[in-house]
Amino acid sequence: MQELNIGEVVTDGVVADSGGAVLQKKKRSINRAKLQDNIWGWIFVILMVLGTTFFVYFSFIVTVILSFSNYGGGNIFEYLGEIEPFRDDALYWYKRMFVDETHSQYFWNTLGNSFFYLLGIPVGMVLSVALAVCMTRDIKGTNAFRVIYYVPTVASAVSLSLIWKRLFNNSGAINEIFGTQIQWLTSTDGVIKKITVLIMTVWKGLGGSIVLFVAGLNGVNVSYHEAADIDGANAWQIFWRITMPQLYPTIFYVLVTSVIGGMQIYIEPELIFGSFYASNTTPGGQSQTSPFVSYIFGEVNSAGNYAYASALGVILTIIIFLMTLVQFALDSRRDK
Amino acid sequence: MAENVNVVAEDPGTINRENINPVLRALYKFGSFFGFGNKLYASNKQRKKVFFDVIVYIILIFGSIIMLYPFYWMVMASFNASTQDVLKTVWWPKSITEGGIFTNYATIIRDFETRVGSGANYWRIVFNTIIYSTVPVIVGVVVSAAAAFAFAKIDFKGKNVVFFYCLAAIMIPGPALMTVQYCFYVQLGWTENGLAMIIPGCFGAIMTAFFIRQYLYGLPTSIIEAAKIDGANYPRIFCSFILPLAMPAIMAQGILSFMGCWNNLLGPQMFIDRSAREFWHMTQALSQLETYTQSNADFNSAEVITASVLALIPVLVLFGIFQKTIIGSIMLTGSKE
Repeated sequence: MQELNIGEVVTDGVVADSGGAVLQKKKRSINRAKLQDNIWGWIFVILMVLGTTFFVYFSFIVTVILSFSNYGGGNIFEYLGEIEPFRDDALYWYKRMFVDETHSQYFWNTLGNSFFYLLGIPVGMVLSVALAVCMTRDIKGTNAFRVIYYVPTVASAVSLSLIWKRLFNNSGAINEIFGTQIQWLTSTDGVIKKITVLIMTVWKGLGGSIVLFVAGLNGVNVSYHEAADIDGANAWQIFWRITMPQLYPTIFYVLVTSVIGGMQIYIEPELIFGSFYASNTTPGGQSQTSPFVSYIFGEVNSAGNYAYASALGVILTIIIFLMTLVQFALDSRRDK
Repeated sequence: MAENVNVVAEDPGTINRENINPVLRALYKFGSFFGFGNKLYASNKQRKKVFFDVIVYIILIFGSIIMLYPFYWMVMASFNASTQDVLKTVWWPKSITEGGIFTNYATIIRDFETRVGSGANYWRIVFNTIIYSTVPVIVGVVVSAAAAFAFAKIDFKGKNVVFFYCLAAIMIPGPALMTVQYCFYVQLGWTENGLAMIIPGCFGAIMTAFFIRQYLYGLPTSIIEAAKIDGANYPRIFCSFILPLAMPAIMAQGILSFMGCWNNLLGPQMFIDRSAREFWHMTQALSQLETYTQSNADFNSAEVITASVLALIPVLVLFGIFQKTIIGSIMLTGSKE
């Protein structure tokens, strides 16, 4: 109280002494602070903005330009500087993708494979929700289980793919343990080969979603459970009516990120079954396992078709964008 | 507790236990004993919990075995003396290499160059991999943390625009851009000396910045205000307050991106020249080793497993040390990679 009074007196005194000057000085210091904010704010973000601009946006613009061009190697910066980078037929590469017999087959094959690998997402989701529910029970050792289930997620996909290839061999450990005769790797049926990869992606991705679901389940309000319990709901009803709706944001997040990541699958099929061009050198040969990214990679690395690979990249971007959009549209419909 | 194991579910007057088929009654009683309450016998809550706990433990332990078995298998398989034995390994190695169990480990490190190609010295490639997954990660995380600090705590003109400008970049998938990036890096001369794996990462990653920003929102702004009044400028505040305070988030994001770089295959395959073997990434070398296995039938593929085990160890050790930070951060921020 006393200090406040003193302060008031002092302020009054100053104002009385040199009225407008203090006001002006104060204003200038605010402006200076604002200026400091602006300058330092930009300095702190500038590297990231530059990186994003060059490595993402500029690259993407060039990707779009190249997809309409006949660029086939050489100095790209000079090429971009030239006035006429376009073919006579600007849609040449897109026509190749959809009309040309060999390449449209490659395109749909690899795209179909990538979509097939997405089937692991619902399987993984159900498994990880079930396991997360198990781990949120009031038992000892849940932390240890969480760590154990997360180990495959952090481990190198390259090493694990090389292991997988031997585990799923015809006379390998998996057939031996389960007493089956399934030809996981050499079957003529592409579906079985793809299921081998699918098992690996589900197995590897389980830990990440479990951790997120456990976090989501911990956030579920316990008092609702108790209220429902008192009202006579059984465990099954409580799970579907109370837990699941509250877990929905986590499920949606996991779904969106898994679809985006799943469309970019590359390492597992590539290392277990070989690269796209290694298994597809004959025209018309079907690719049973190669995902879409393998196709892009093969076009760059084995065929040197930079322009065509750019066109494939543009299509991949559009596909992922549309899939994400559809998911958000479904999500917003649910809100109504 | 023990006395009321079988509490009568309803008023005994309405349902007469004695009138029911004794077999059925026994079944009901059996069910209630294991926690399934029914119209004759209610269940004991405590026993029900124990029963389901046991089931949950069985499920989780079975799952853990599935999760860990491939890792166990790879260690066992790495001791084998021939490819045939590797393929037949289930629980124990079928054969042990002459000269002790670690012969394969010594051989692969010594003969890495002859298997993968000249220039691909094992330690050289380990060194490369460490450089590729530490330099861009450390620089990138600091850059991201700086950007996150600006996004969370500094009011500057155009902040929201810049933030969404950066965030929108995640909608463009990496594989779509790699063709053009490759063309750029070739022209800049980054593909023949590994710079392509270092420089782009040094500009930070928006997702890292995003998650650190989420974390920074939880810190009180009053600390920064106080520091400002005491005359500290923004770089000072960043170095002596933000970096130490946001360390858990920064560490977790750093370790996750370290693992991402360590396990990356597409990037190195794309951006490092196939002929510049002395700049190869370990994943690239492993993939090449696998090709070598296929073209040389008498080569002991246990050595490939051995190299895989060696490549896995650093990540697993790091995860073991920082598992609490990592899992805590994932639960907090929702980032998986």
